[in-house]
Amino acid sequence: MRFHFILILSIFLFACSTEKDTKRDDIKIVRLKYWCSANPQEIELAKKLVDKWNKLHPDIQVEVQPLPAGQSSEEVLLAAIAAKTTPDICSNIWPGAVSEYIKAGGLVKLNEFEDFDSIVNLRKIPHSLLESFRSNDGNFYQFPWKTNPVMMLYNVKILKSAGLHNPPQNYSEFFNACEKIKKDINGDGITDIWPGYTDTRPIWWQRFFDFYPFYIASSGGKTFFENGILKIDTASAINAFNFFKICFQKGYFPNTNFQTDPFLTGKVAIRFTGPWTIAYLEKNKPADLEYSFAPIPVPNNYKGETYTYGDPKNIAIFSTTKHKKEAWEFVKFLVSDSSDLALLEICNQLPIRGDLLENKIFAVYFERNPKMKSFAKQVSYIRGVDEVPEMKEIFDAISKEFEACSIYGVKTPESAMKNLIKRINTILEWAK
Amino acid sequence: MKGKLLTYFFLLTGAVIFAYPFLWMVFATLKPEIEIPNLWLLSQNMSFKNYSIVLNKIPIIRAFFNSLFVSLSITASVIIFGSIVGFALSRLNFYGKNLIFMLILFTMMIPFQITLIPTYVLIVKLGFVDTYAGLILPAMMSSFSILVFRQFFLNIPQSLIESARIDGCNNLQILFKVIIPLSKPAVSTVGILTFMSSWNEVLWPLIVIRNEKLMTMPQLVTVFVLGGQAEGQLGVQLASATLLALPVVIAYSFFQRYFIESLATTGLKE
Amino acid sequence: MVSPYVIYFLVFVAYPLTFSFILIFHRWNIVTPMEFIGLKNFIRLFRDETFFKSIINTLIFLSIHIPLQIAVALFFAQLLNKKIKLRGLFRSIYFLPVVVSGVVVTVLWQQMYAYETGLINQILLKFGFKKIPWLVSPKFAMPSIAIMATWKNVGLYIVLFLAGLQNIPRELYEVAEIDGASSFQKFLKITLPMLNPTIVLVVVLSTIGGFSLFIEPYIMTGGGPMDSTLSAMLYIYNQAFYFNHMGYAATLGFFFATIIFLVVILQRKFIERDVY
Repeated sequence: MRFHFILILSIFLFACSTEKDTKRDDIKIVRLKYWCSANPQEIELAKKLVDKWNKLHPDIQVEVQPLPAGQSSEEVLLAAIAAKTTPDICSNIWPGAVSEYIKAGGLVKLNEFEDFDSIVNLRKIPHSLLESFRSNDGNFYQFPWKTNPVMMLYNVKILKSAGLHNPPQNYSEFFNACEKIKKDINGDGITDIWPGYTDTRPIWWQRFFDFYPFYIASSGGKTFFENGILKIDTASAINAFNFFKICFQKGYFPNTNFQTDPFLTGKVAIRFTGPWTIAYLEKNKPADLEYSFAPIPVPNNYKGETYTYGDPKNIAIFSTTKHKKEAWEFVKFLVSDSSDLALLEICNQLPIRGDLLENKIFAVYFERNPKMKSFAKQVSYIRGVDEVPEMKEIFDAISKEFEACSIYGVKTPESAMKNLIKRINTILEWAK
Repeated sequence: MKGKLLTYFFLLTGAVIFAYPFLWMVFATLKPEIEIPNLWLLSQNMSFKNYSIVLNKIPIIRAFFNSLFVSLSITASVIIFGSIVGFALSRLNFYGKNLIFMLILFTMMIPFQITLIPTYVLIVKLGFVDTYAGLILPAMMSSFSILVFRQFFLNIPQSLIESARIDGCNNLQILFKVIIPLSKPAVSTVGILTFMSSWNEVLWPLIVIRNEKLMTMPQLVTVFVLGGQAEGQLGVQLASATLLALPVVIAYSFFQRYFIESLATTGLKE
Repeated sequence: MVSPYVIYFLVFVAYPLTFSFILIFHRWNIVTPMEFIGLKNFIRLFRDETFFKSIINTLIFLSIHIPLQIAVALFFAQLLNKKIKLRGLFRSIYFLPVVVSGVVVTVLWQQMYAYETGLINQILLKFGFKKIPWLVSPKFAMPSIAIMATWKNVGLYIVLFLAGLQNIPRELYEVAEIDGASSFQKFLKITLPMLNPTIVLVVVLSTIGGFSLFIEPYIMTGGGPMDSTLSAMLYIYNQAFYFNHMGYAATLGFFFATIIFLVVILQRKFIERDVY
């Protein structure tokens, strides 16, 4: 008897542990599943938007579920595509993984909807940026949604006391600033105020905050591939490697991991980061911390707007959906003006739109959050990653070269770049 | 006399080396962030703040129960099946007995590095990713436990078995009613070893479990420490590690002897 | 009665092994269908500098960890073997790191090794030494992990050696003393040979454990700096579960398993001596 009870209990527990989807579709009501990012603010945003939508559309009900935390969304989505358990809509699509989703046959062509073009045009996205989201077969499988541009965060007071009233704009100005900022206050041979800091761990996505934005800035908005063919702007790659190599060699950047956030404690004057940092700084900062943002430095002879990496996340509809039209209506809602405003207000992340500072709808928000204005200006000049498989491995290769060349200084930028191209070609070859 | 003093000196130094880091860790979790690097353990501003952050951010209590459920299931299964097969190999005669014995030895020699990925693929195909089954099933039987039980059962007097048979017991009843009660050392050795190794196992859960709600305790702490959720706060990370160590340390303080003896028996096996 | 085991064997041993042999000739990322590519995985393996570096890293780890382990374990076992009080208490303290999860130990030591503010460097500074770049320097990183692994596991081997020592008949020592042997000679000619089975066991267990090195570099260094702590298991894990190269990872696993097998066999041949 006891044995049977335990057996039944075990089966019951097993059953509870698997995620089961047993909702039945009502004949009259269309039910859609929407997956959002696991980020707490985005969950809050998603819930608000979905509530609003559900009230306006009693015949199309949306159920929102956050992607599981603790694992990369890309893996989860790929696994879901394989198991055919994908939602109807997901708003955490990283462009770098889109090629793999397409290869697995998971996505719906958005440009097949009649009003796709008009909806896109409403957002006044710069042409080159929009084109960067078009897939190699000419279709759009993702709708540009939000961005977190990487910019230069700096401690206003430290710069002022080093005699700098404006943040540095090009490499020479930056290094001059570093010379002035770097201080050893108590004369013990250990630097107390570091000009800058970047995380030196060889994790592939760390390069989104050092090498890659500087590459994009130096190349004037070029990424690594054109039409699926590798065309690295070698000069820019060398510039990016070299910039950081100088930073580490001259002791402007420490090669260490601080135990507590060094920017908060005033140990570091500059970091390269995105708008999510604002919420974090506001919550944790000591009372006298004054900070601001500026575009990242560009090479001395560079002319034009500063481009940067935007870490874009887009929206996609999955091919398992049984209600394409309704899903598209929901997507349109997600990128409407009011939803974009909510994105700004709740998450402090920026919608991919070219009219953020001109459109009256957002005016009040930017008045209240002046620091976000620098980011809004930057939005028109962001880039993502190329839609090429094995993007992770490519950035892993970049991390290795970055480590060897810039952090530990055992390679020249030229040889790092040559090795990088060789490794990317090997990676691509093995992916065929 | 001097020799004795020296001996105690080294032993004490050893004790400090092995125990102080844990003490340091516990006190570090109670201090404010800035004071953590200080060598002195105590501080003016101690609080449990870090622990409340951990408990709020990650489902660590749930992970504890996940680990408990999984480890208990595996241990029970390994003991049950290990003793059954061990009994069969030691006391019964059947067709293919030697072959089975060879298979068991063979399994022990295979490094897991080669079976890791295909077993994962199998779990995916069976649909057991993100389920307790995926954690428990591959570990249900252990060659080691079979061999330990077999070795132990070889020493049980045949007369006991015979008299149980005369009383009308079938094999399973003989095993569970007569032999197991006499085999406490074997059961406790296999039990503790299996429980500990499955509790501390991280690689397999990392591969098979993606859903935070199903993660085992060490896995959850790993993911927490590596991800950005601790927001770089040292004290919080150490607090999660301390919570992870707590159950084992508590069990250990009560059952030290059994832990040590079980692990030492692995030596006798060879 | 053995049928449950047979089922288990077929499902969890025979099938994975067989499938592994199929997988190494294919390319697969689980989502799209498998692609037969013949021996390409092997060609890739032999050109893979990073993989060979990871194997060498693992061997470096073992070459530091095993001797250190044996030396420290023997040292404390000998101390504990003498007539001392509180032997049980000391034994329990030394054994504590063994039962605690590797995750706890790694998180703890990661902070102890921190360059600027870690416990170890703070202590070094107090004694007038310079700070050591434990985890930040490619030269020190793997030895740091080896030291930590020794700290964690040595308790087990202390217990094993202690048991081994207590099994050595006293008469052997007494006879040697009558013959005028020094302590060192006694150690070399009696203790070590009599402990040979235990030493072999310690070496084999440490080796198998060392080849599984994964969670420590995974948490502490991610394989860096400059791949100096990239263990073979970590590399295989990344290939399989980060980059989804299932076929290639299976090939690496197969190759690596073969190496482990050979090493363990060779070790027994060279170290094992018959005990008279």
